[in-house]
Amino acid sequence: MKLSFKHIATFLNVGEKRSSRIISSIGLGIGVLLLLCSVQMYYNVNLLIKDKNPRKDGFDFISVTKNITDANMAEDHRFTSADISEMKTHAFVSDAAPLVSNQFRVRANAANIIHSTDLFLESIQDNFLDILPPSFSWHPGQEDVPIIFSSDFLEMYNVFATAQDLPQLSASSIGVINIMLECSGRTGRSIELRGHIIAISDRINSVVVPEEFLQWANKNLEGCVDPPASRVYIKTVDANNTDLLKYLEQKDYHVNKDKTKFGRVKQILQAIVSGLGGFAILVILLAMMLFSFYLQLMIARSKDNLQLLLMLGYSPGWLSKTVAKKWIPVYAIIIISALVFTEILQYLFQQTFLNGREVLSPVIHPMVLIVAAVLMVLCVTVNYRLIRKLLYKL
Amino acid sequence: MTNIVLQNLFPDFLEKEKIERSQIWNEHITIHKGDRLQIVAPSGSGKTSLVHFLYGLRKDYHGSILFDGKNTKTFSPEDFAKNRQTHLSVIFQDLRIFPEQTARENIDIKRMLQPFHSQSQIESMTGALGVSTKLNQPGKTCSYGEQQRIAIVRALQQPFDFILMDEPFSHLDENNRKKAMALIEEEATKRGAAIILADLKPIEYFKANRILNL
Repeated sequence: MKLSFKHIATFLNVGEKRSSRIISSIGLGIGVLLLLCSVQMYYNVNLLIKDKNPRKDGFDFISVTKNITDANMAEDHRFTSADISEMKTHAFVSDAAPLVSNQFRVRANAANIIHSTDLFLESIQDNFLDILPPSFSWHPGQEDVPIIFSSDFLEMYNVFATAQDLPQLSASSIGVINIMLECSGRTGRSIELRGHIIAISDRINSVVVPEEFLQWANKNLEGCVDPPASRVYIKTVDANNTDLLKYLEQKDYHVNKDKTKFGRVKQILQAIVSGLGGFAILVILLAMMLFSFYLQLMIARSKDNLQLLLMLGYSPGWLSKTVAKKWIPVYAIIIISALVFTEILQYLFQQTFLNGREVLSPVIHPMVLIVAAVLMVLCVTVNYRLIRKLLYKL
Repeated sequence: MTNIVLQNLFPDFLEKEKIERSQIWNEHITIHKGDRLQIVAPSGSGKTSLVHFLYGLRKDYHGSILFDGKNTKTFSPEDFAKNRQTHLSVIFQDLRIFPEQTARENIDIKRMLQPFHSQSQIESMTGALGVSTKLNQPGKTCSYGEQQRIAIVRALQQPFDFILMDEPFSHLDENNRKKAMALIEEEATKRGAAIILADLKPIEYFKANRILNL
């Protein structure tokens, strides 16, 4: 016959009052529930914030400029190549590329649409463009300059076009317009080129021309090679990454707040969730302390009997394991109940606040299960070590 | 376990004269399995201390106690537990009965650890000592004499190579002493075990092959 707890149960004085055990159990249950809910909310927040910011190709592209204030207006706010290299060293930046602008003067003219106006042109690495037609290239001597135009600019044009008696244009019809570009610079050289809008970009709000053209024109018309850029585009896995936002704040770089606003909300929510998690850990610690006091009391009450059992030949190791094992179902019930409650709350959250949308799963995140398992192991281990310590002291 | 050796053993607290007068303290004594050793010791000579040292309950002594050549001072609580389950049994002068448990539970808690006898033999052994009617009575309601006989039956439930006894019959009358001694000798013989009996004066019905004065 294998010895078990039931053989020694009558020798342990667990006390008449069950209140301390019940209070400890409720305390532990609340603490575990709070912690599991915090972990689940952490993942919910991450998922919901990502969902608010749909991305292309798995990356976000953010335009970054240096902050211009009244105090620093006189300074140069352009990015050096060292600034860009430094950006690329951070894990949260997948790539960074300058948006180089024209250093020479450009005057644009389009029959009936643009009546001779100064224009700015910019270029960026091809892999930062969201649309790249095969004809988007240029070589010296080519009179046609392909242009990628911002969809925001087209929208703005169409807003005021009717008031100015100008035709409204669609994204596909804009390509037929011939834009005469008069380019001149400090070298005294001047050329006339034809510009054609060949694509509309949702990502880059600028008038983008091929890099080869801008390099050639900056050099040959203005005598400028590799000019510093005023804007840099950052390619990142998550524009709402809190480390990225911290970095941008620390460097005093300006970004489009709309692109990262959910990141700021996420920062706040994560702080709240972390605070809740910290509070939960405190409650768990207090509950475990109550449990330990209860165990110490039980062992103190049963001291004479336990000493006699040890004297008869019961090993302190076996007694510790057997008494500690008795508590496993108690911890299991508490932790499983907390898991079930967390699942119910997650289901209600998904059904009630998100109307059952599949943005969030109604099932708890696997990490919650892992945290629950870790808590279980922790409770049982702490319990066993405490009992063992007390028994070896007898 | 086949032998116990006491090497220059004496308690830290005992007066020098008592140690010098003793045939055990500060001597080299070997006790073999199967021996019948009677230790005669007046009050205050360290009789209970000796049993406690051998059983591993105290370590406030000089010298060494060797179990099959191994110094017991190096034993862990687990090692002592193992010895108490299979090699060493004990009957204390102060009875050490669980007061709230019945006599049967008191005996069975020892038997279950390493059963040498079946549960039914508890009846016959307690019957032989005249306490079978007390089996379902809580320990605290039994008289000292009954508690002592329950403690004797309890000590005989396990396998052992040595049984230590510290004034085991102090609460018994002559008739019950003889019955208890006979039962202990019978059980020790079954196991080929040694009996180490410490008492105030020689016990004539204990067939000792060696008597030492403490």
